[in-house]
Amino acid sequence: MRRIESQIDTNAPDFKANHAAMSERLKEFHAHQHAARFERPQRDIDRLARQNKLGVRERLKLLLDPGTPFLEFSTLAACREYDGTVPGAAVVTGIGIVQGREVAIHANDASVKGGAWYPHTVKKIVRLLDVALENRLPVIHICDSAGGFLPLQHGVFPDRYLGGRVFRNQVKLSQANIPQVAIVGGHCTAGGAYVPTLSDYNIIIEGTGAIFLGGPPLVKAATGEEVGVQELGGAVMHTSVSGTGDYRAATEQHAFSLAREIVSQWKRTPKTIIETASFEEPYYDPKELYGIIPKDRKTQFDMREVLARIVDGSRFHEYQPEYGTTMVCGFAHIWGYKVGILANNGVLFNDSSLKAAHFMQLCNQNRTPLVFLQNITGYMVGREYEERGIAKDGAKMLMAQGGSVVPKFTVIANASYGAGNYGMCGRAWDARTLFMWPQAEIGVMGADQAANTMADVKIRQLEREGKELSEEEIAAIRDPVLEKFRRDVEAYTSTSELWDDGLLDPADTRNALGMSISASLNAPIDDPHYGIFRL
Amino acid sequence: MRRIFQIDGEETECWLSHDGNELIVNTPDGAIPCQLDPTGTPGGHVLRVRGRAQELRLAVGPDATFVHLNGQTYAIGRVDPAERLAGNDGGAADDRIVAPMPGVVVSVNAKPGDQVKEGQPLLVIESMKLETSLIAPRDGVVAEIPFAAGDSFGLKATLAQLAPEED
Repeated sequence: MRRIESQIDTNAPDFKANHAAMSERLKEFHAHQHAARFERPQRDIDRLARQNKLGVRERLKLLLDPGTPFLEFSTLAACREYDGTVPGAAVVTGIGIVQGREVAIHANDASVKGGAWYPHTVKKIVRLLDVALENRLPVIHICDSAGGFLPLQHGVFPDRYLGGRVFRNQVKLSQANIPQVAIVGGHCTAGGAYVPTLSDYNIIIEGTGAIFLGGPPLVKAATGEEVGVQELGGAVMHTSVSGTGDYRAATEQHAFSLAREIVSQWKRTPKTIIETASFEEPYYDPKELYGIIPKDRKTQFDMREVLARIVDGSRFHEYQPEYGTTMVCGFAHIWGYKVGILANNGVLFNDSSLKAAHFMQLCNQNRTPLVFLQNITGYMVGREYEERGIAKDGAKMLMAQGGSVVPKFTVIANASYGAGNYGMCGRAWDARTLFMWPQAEIGVMGADQAANTMADVKIRQLEREGKELSEEEIAAIRDPVLEKFRRDVEAYTSTSELWDDGLLDPADTRNALGMSISASLNAPIDDPHYGIFRL
Repeated sequence: MRRIFQIDGEETECWLSHDGNELIVNTPDGAIPCQLDPTGTPGGHVLRVRGRAQELRLAVGPDATFVHLNGQTYAIGRVDPAERLAGNDGGAADDRIVAPMPGVVVSVNAKPGDQVKEGQPLLVIESMKLETSLIAPRDGVVAEIPFAAGDSFGLKATLAQLAPEED
């Protein structure tokens, strides 16, 4: 496979200006991530210490194989909700390595509101369990939650993808022969009691861990019975009397050593074999991406320059290099795994849509996983293109993409507008993982277009009522709408709402993809089959 | 297809085969049977050709293999045949820049009579929320840029024209 010849001049003024702008954004991004992970009010840290409990990050350290990567999902979930008081949505999720095997991890963060389940907490846990189901990853639950956040009970409890879905997914995992172990490092009350009890294995830490449907105060209120935490649902009672718990751990350290022992004796299913090559770092430095991504989102850039800083050896075999050129298709390796890449170099036209559909069929036939690199402002509009059947060709692309049986991975590298988001495997289209760069934007249309459309409707309505509007009055209508839209399309809004699996420093994209691809191969790949293509 | 190697600036085509007993290096000057065995030291090998044994060291890089032999180092470059044989892009570049899609001219960066270099931006257009820089396809002189900033244009409209190349 040939190496991409980069045309980038790292001394050019444009490169330097872009680099400075991106570095500034990333400084802010890393500060946000650090705060969400580690910065807590002193009283919350003191409370954990008083309860003799370790923080969630220390627990992860005990659980994971030292020196191995942990692919954390949605660190900034809920960053724009609840006035920013629920960092990470009070839960840590991700894919890590335990005893040499890939596992999905769900760990309550009791330093945030006692690990209570907020609506975004539930969304994050359900997503993690979906990841486990899709990729056949064993799950490790670290339970320490105050239970559902009562003032928002309707946002955590009744709907299809809310609280019940956590337990439903646990059942589906068990049914699919995917093992789970729960470590009870705090109270698991009411619904929370089902996380450890639906796990094939559970460990209760003596003194701090407890499982009950109703805690002591609720029991007292309901029946008048007075009973202590340990008698009602402590480690000794559950592991020796009720059989609700499997293992009693003397300390946190003991609990995690038991969990690791349990994982080590699980049956290992061979991973799916795809084409591989020997591992090679990119020839071009991934940090050069900072200078390649234009500081103005509207400025076009060549996605091949991005690929050259993500794939092994910067090597890329481009497919149909001269046809439908706004859609770059081709083969490369990431962490040695062969992938088919679809990357936007402009608007999707008829030919570029057909090329994408054709290329995806090729990859499915060869069991080659697909990587989508989005910088898409949409499918082309206008009479010429409608007459050529742009909607029909877009439908073909969706049919091939949505019908793909190979694992798909999406990176929203810049713009993700309109149906282009769908064609390029947006959130609704089952990408095994979907990450976004911090400067990227997502929306039905760009903020300017949306604000203008909304303002125009309003202005025309006023004009019909006979009102003549001055420039200032028009600005007074448009500006607040524009400001709201600009915020709504930002990556931070997306990641807050869990429309992605997290934001990435562009230089980390390669590793996030490598880890995602590796994890996806725990699940088999089906034979290719599709719906009806509108030819 | 034989593989292409570059030694001291000279390209040579070779192919390695095996006859079941030993390796055969097929060169333009004929086939050379030989054997190459590792000695156990890093990169160390013994090459046996026509009854002679010669110690050498090999290091393999991404684009070349380095051979240390008799106190001298030789770089054997590997030439990618697809790249080597692609030729010069199949003919002269078009003198015209046509609109890839309907849109609006954002800025014009050159005027008729200007001497421009290949890759130099001639004008910037906007369409579908994207600004695209249209660049000179080759070195030359600008003959015509028919649109001004703010003008809209249709698909395949000529946005810039270079003066024909003189032979």
